[in-house]
Amino acid sequence: MVNPEQFKKDIEQMLSQEYKVEFLGTNFDHIVNLLTDIKVQKIYNWLNEVIQHKFQPIVISSPKPYKEWTVNELLTFRYPFSIGTTEYRILFVKIKNSVYIEFHLGDHKYYDKVRKDLNLK
Amino acid sequence: MIIYNPHNQILIQERIKQAEHILQQIPAKYCFITGSFLYKEKYKDIDIFIISRTKKEIKINNPKVNITILDFNDLHSIFYHSLSKSCIAKNILPQKPLKVTLADYWHVINEAIPTILNQKDKYHKDIRFLILYTQYFNTKEVLDSFQLTNKIASFKDYHSILAYIKKQVPKIISRHAKPSYTKRFFYTQAAYYKEYQEYEAQNLLYELTHEITRGLAHGQS
Repeated sequence: MVNPEQFKKDIEQMLSQEYKVEFLGTNFDHIVNLLTDIKVQKIYNWLNEVIQHKFQPIVISSPKPYKEWTVNELLTFRYPFSIGTTEYRILFVKIKNSVYIEFHLGDHKYYDKVRKDLNLK
Repeated sequence: MIIYNPHNQILIQERIKQAEHILQQIPAKYCFITGSFLYKEKYKDIDIFIISRTKKEIKINNPKVNITILDFNDLHSIFYHSLSKSCIAKNILPQKPLKVTLADYWHVINEAIPTILNQKDKYHKDIRFLILYTQYFNTKEVLDSFQLTNKIASFKDYHSILAYIKKQVPKIISRHAKPSYTKRFFYTQAAYYKEYQEYEAQNLLYELTHEITRGLAHGQS
């Protein structure tokens, strides 16, 4: 079992940025508790790829506001995975040429809500 | 119970009975089952769609069941038109005119390209919209779930999908969009992708917009 606080700390350490990334999602801690060590390692590997610009982002040209930004200022990195028969997704959001702001983790219902805010299909 | 099967696909008789049993448990007038459960011996999920205004969660005691609630506004979508074409439904399903736009199509392409590059050969689930839209704009036909699965299976790898996009998309846009719209929309997109050219996906999208606007400059519209 993975400790959610440690999981968040590990991610913050990987990012090494002053801005405090927000960890968001209904049942965030519960889902982290369900992750095996192998799945966590895969997420960390994926994050490294994101940080090294090896993973492709989705960028949307919409000027629609998103919190204190606009959607067209954001890069979204999407990572789908399953635990048993349930599908989950991570959405990792970065501001163009700047910091990572949000790390979303949730099931398809949560994803559906966030993707609408971010103007994703 | 209504069976929608326009291409006379062979359905597994036992599954038809199971589908009917499941649908009877759902407290909604409009619900249907589609996908591999109906025609493949081995299936992963039972995909159930319920058309309802309710926000209440509907649960079925079967771990393989995946329930998606569709809003009545979704009935205009290409997704619903495809799903409802081949399925087993509790009642005659409501139909609304299909609404698809080129801007929606581009939105799908914009997400499909980074996803394909990330997923590499595990793209099968992620290109359904891309293929649906592309085939629709090419033939004016909405593929049902059997046809869509077959079309996706016809690609040998992710490179062949990218080649298909590069070949089909500029032709489709030039056939369906007015030059003034193409110019305005794709020049804006191109300028935007240019800022992200460190990424392969946005680089490819930039090239695609360039190809589209080049077609315009050569009078292909």
